Amino acid sequence: MMIWLRKNLFRSVGDSLVTVIAGSLSLYVLFRIVRFVAVTGRWQVVETNLALLVNGAWPTDEIGRLSATIVLLGFLGGVASAVAGLVTSDVDSEPPTLFQKALDLAIRLWPLALIVGLVLLLSTTTGPLLLTVGVVGAVTVGRLLGGLLPGRVRPVVIVVALFGALASIWFMSFGHSWDDWGGILVNFFLAAISISLCFPIGVILALGRRSEFPILRMLSTVFIELFRGVPLIALLLMAKNTLGFFVPQEFTPGAAVRAIVVFVLFTSAYVAEIVRGGLQSVPKGQIEAARANGLTPIPTTFRIVLPQALRNVIPALVGQFISLFKDTTLAGVALGFLDLLEGGQAITQQAEFRGQGLVIETLAFVGLLFWAGSYTMSRESQRLESKLGVGSR
Amino acid sequence: MGRSPKLLALGAAFALALSACASGGSSAADSDSGSDEENNNSESTSTSGGSVLADVIANDVVTCGTRDALPGFAVLQADGTHEGFDNDFCRAIAAAVLGDAEKVEFKDLETDDRFTALQSGEVDVLVRNTTWTASRDGSEGATFLAPNFYDGQGMMVAVESNFNSLEDMDGTTVCVASGTTTEGNVSSEFERLGLTVDVLSFENTDLIQEAFQAGRCDGWSSDVSQLAGLRTSFLNGEDSLKILPGVFSKEPLAPAVRDGDSEWAQVVNWAVFATIQAEEFGIDSSNVDGMLESDNPLIQTFLGVEVDGTALDPGLGLPVDANYQVVKQVGNYGEIYEQHIKPLGLERGQNSQWQDGGLLYAPPYR
Amino acid sequence: MNSSEKTPFWRNVAVLRWAFQLAIVAVVGVIIAILVNNLLVNSSSQGIPLGFGFLSQPASFPITANDFRDTQPVWQAMYEGVLNTLRVVLVGFVLATVFGVLIGLGRLSGNWLIRTISTVYIEIVRNVPLLLIVIFAYLGLVLEVFPRIEDSWDLAGTIIVNGRGFSIPWITGPFVGLLAAVVLSIAAGLAVRRWRLRVAESKDESAYVVPWMAAAMVAVLFWVGFFAGLGFSSPSIDGRNVVGGMTMQPEYFALLFALVTYTASHIAEIVRGSVQSVAKGQVEASQAMALNGWQRMRYVIFPQALRVAIPPLGNQYLNLMKNSSLGFAVSYFELTKVVTTSVGTRSPAVPAFLVLMIIYLIMSLTISALVNIANRKMEVVGR
Repeated sequence: MMIWLRKNLFRSVGDSLVTVIAGSLSLYVLFRIVRFVAVTGRWQVVETNLALLVNGAWPTDEIGRLSATIVLLGFLGGVASAVAGLVTSDVDSEPPTLFQKALDLAIRLWPLALIVGLVLLLSTTTGPLLLTVGVVGAVTVGRLLGGLLPGRVRPVVIVVALFGALASIWFMSFGHSWDDWGGILVNFFLAAISISLCFPIGVILALGRRSEFPILRMLSTVFIELFRGVPLIALLLMAKNTLGFFVPQEFTPGAAVRAIVVFVLFTSAYVAEIVRGGLQSVPKGQIEAARANGLTPIPTTFRIVLPQALRNVIPALVGQFISLFKDTTLAGVALGFLDLLEGGQAITQQAEFRGQGLVIETLAFVGLLFWAGSYTMSRESQRLESKLGVGSR
Repeated sequence: MGRSPKLLALGAAFALALSACASGGSSAADSDSGSDEENNNSESTSTSGGSVLADVIANDVVTCGTRDALPGFAVLQADGTHEGFDNDFCRAIAAAVLGDAEKVEFKDLETDDRFTALQSGEVDVLVRNTTWTASRDGSEGATFLAPNFYDGQGMMVAVESNFNSLEDMDGTTVCVASGTTTEGNVSSEFERLGLTVDVLSFENTDLIQEAFQAGRCDGWSSDVSQLAGLRTSFLNGEDSLKILPGVFSKEPLAPAVRDGDSEWAQVVNWAVFATIQAEEFGIDSSNVDGMLESDNPLIQTFLGVEVDGTALDPGLGLPVDANYQVVKQVGNYGEIYEQHIKPLGLERGQNSQWQDGGLLYAPPYR
Repeated sequence: MNSSEKTPFWRNVAVLRWAFQLAIVAVVGVIIAILVNNLLVNSSSQGIPLGFGFLSQPASFPITANDFRDTQPVWQAMYEGVLNTLRVVLVGFVLATVFGVLIGLGRLSGNWLIRTISTVYIEIVRNVPLLLIVIFAYLGLVLEVFPRIEDSWDLAGTIIVNGRGFSIPWITGPFVGLLAAVVLSIAAGLAVRRWRLRVAESKDESAYVVPWMAAAMVAVLFWVGFFAGLGFSSPSIDGRNVVGGMTMQPEYFALLFALVTYTASHIAEIVRGSVQSVAKGQVEASQAMALNGWQRMRYVIFPQALRVAIPPLGNQYLNLMKNSSLGFAVSYFELTKVVTTSVGTRSPAVPAFLVLMIIYLIMSLTISALVNIANRKMEVVGR
């Protein structure tokens, strides 16, 4: 213990000085934070508006549809994660014990558990509790079932899960029009829809940018650089103000469609660059070997190069999803969604909470929700990265 | 339902407009005006006529663009109904055209998408606290009609500040809403007075409120009617905030319809005039039934009472009893004002009848 | 010559390749044509102009904390918007780099506490949306925490903080004078450096390059500054305004604060990664050569790490420039805010946003080009 202290905190006089100053400062900050959370913070505004922050003004009699969809999504997510886990798992290592597994899960998912616990603590009805139990159950069942699937159907399962997810989100919109969605639901929904839709476009653009056809290369490059060179919020504002001019008047698109169009175009440019990196990481020898074995260019691309490239870019794609998830807040401010952030601002203007300076409380809560989501995802992607051994080969 | 015929009709109207302009003759809208009679009778097929009036009658509802949270003018109640001055004028239009003041669908619009909604046909008429200006009339694809409220821009400051007129406010910061006429007015006015001012403009009212409360700006400038409404939404706002006397702009707030539909424009215009004329005649919702027995021929004509077996149909495309329905179901101008604007603490002022020195003047109904 | 052996054109690879490309061009062309046709139909039916004549129309809106008058044309408003963007972006580059490097080195520090604080900072800031930080900095920090002007925080007349802005002492006098002073001071510094290095080589004694340079630069700076009429002014409160010094208006301060906080966390990760990428053998070798910690950093690690760091750093600078558009959310009149305000006032949306896109693209491409130049230079030096 003493040795650790000496080595890590008090190596020299200067070091000790730094430790003392930084230590007292951080203790003070910690004290202020704890006091804010436990004593001075006025959390009534969050408690009252919890539902608004989570699922927006979702009509009460349609809650069943929403819950069913979320449970289904949890199940599909479980299946997909099990299948993905099989793809990446190490064959050599011995299977962990149940206790090890639980501990591992707790370390990995504590931020999510924290916010779910917080929401349950703040909510007054039993609905959220039931939903949580349902989702956890669905994920578990999904994982177990996914593990039992034979290897050959795995790609099919992933595609089915993806379409199932999109279809269930569509099913959800029957209860409550997309444009009126709110809360963290809208952030997650916009991010999920956009990343699924932009993926094929991104792959095509990446192949186009590396193709030997000069015109194709030029078109892809122009598209990618165009969307990477302009701020997202400017694109969203542009969609709000000008998209209506580019479609016949009868089809004036709603806010959700406008947001998705922009996110898909914008993200596909970034995904293209990620996939291009993945394509470059595939050794030239692979292509030469394939050609030597008599494969023509198209099968070489789709059966040899792409599978390896895509496997390598999974962590970067997760990273892109995280930044997309955070960027969906821009749709709130530009297109008027009451997403988590805009909703958080709006609730401080309610008659009973107005003018009391509750912005800090609500933004702290909103920030915690975003943080827990993206921190968990980014750690998972790092784990995946080390598992896949990207960069270490 | 024919989507493409509508588009074709639009294209045709545009071509007509072009040719009309080329010949320097009458406007394209004139070429439509002969079809009044048919439109009144025909049902869903009448969309090809191109007039909003026909669509409104066919759909049996008026879609009216307003807003959801402007105290006095348009407030979305907790139970989903709309209450306010602007909303009542929407109801007056519905009462005049459809004979039922409740056949209105309200659309809540933001400042910057209100004209887009009108252009795209999302709303039939805009009664949304909108100032009539030359460039809006000219380049937003909207036609403004008779104003239903004469407003002016004013300044709201904290009571404890020692500002009593704009002259005291040299070198201060003033918050305004962006995308409105107000931001330009503030700087022009201070410049005219030889004063400097820093104008801070925000996209939404919530942000202005935050900034104003935090002391980021010394004054909040907007139309006086809006300021009066906003003041009521502050915590004991009446006591802590004051509106400086005097206004420094003309803000005629007028309903607007799409360009090139004079038939519908006339209907909306005369629905507004009905409320004004009724007040001039002293007719209100409580005595309108008694007034049917009046022997004043002007009132008889106005209420569509049959005299010698005929009632006047001015050919506006409205039912003969349109004015009666407006007054009966919604009330006259004075009643609407009393109900919605008076509680904000605003006197009639410019919005009095012309006999009382105000600006309300309905053309004769004959 | 033998026509029977000639490949028919539908199987001729060269022909097929061009046909394929032409087909793609045709598809893209048709899509663009449809969009443009819709645009033309819609804007003419709504009577909305598509030309760029609006640029010379009066703007009809004022710009906060700016001499711009609402009677000036739209293009001048956009020009002021670009200047405001550059104001926040250039200062942001410098501050984000400084803080990012400090935090990045903090993560590599031998001191556990510093390491932990840096890690916590990075993990928190990187995982919340930037917009949240911007709004928090404005609504939470500037409007809630900063005091009203009546009871400003006044740090001995040097820094004054209140809801009207963040004021620091600043240089007064003609800009040309300031520029001359800075340029001459740098020139003097470089001259002294050369001289000291020559002295050190010829006489084989310690060079003391840095102290000499600093002394020369400070001396020249003050000397030129004095003659150029440069002065120093501290902020003070006069009635309801802060006078003297330089006041960053609250919207600017909030945006800058958020951009620096956010970008610094990303730069810190780049710094850590690039320092760790320097091969361990290099460090050991420099230890063997008895270089001290500073020398090791300056001559061995830094040059190699910088080469690795430049491309991702350039990316971060590009992001910072693009993220400055979030000033829109707190009403800081950068380019995006100017254009949206202008569209809300009178300007036609489609051409106005086209201009906005083009300006951003020019700025992005400029930054990319500069990064590429720096990258190439470093590569040459390294070999």
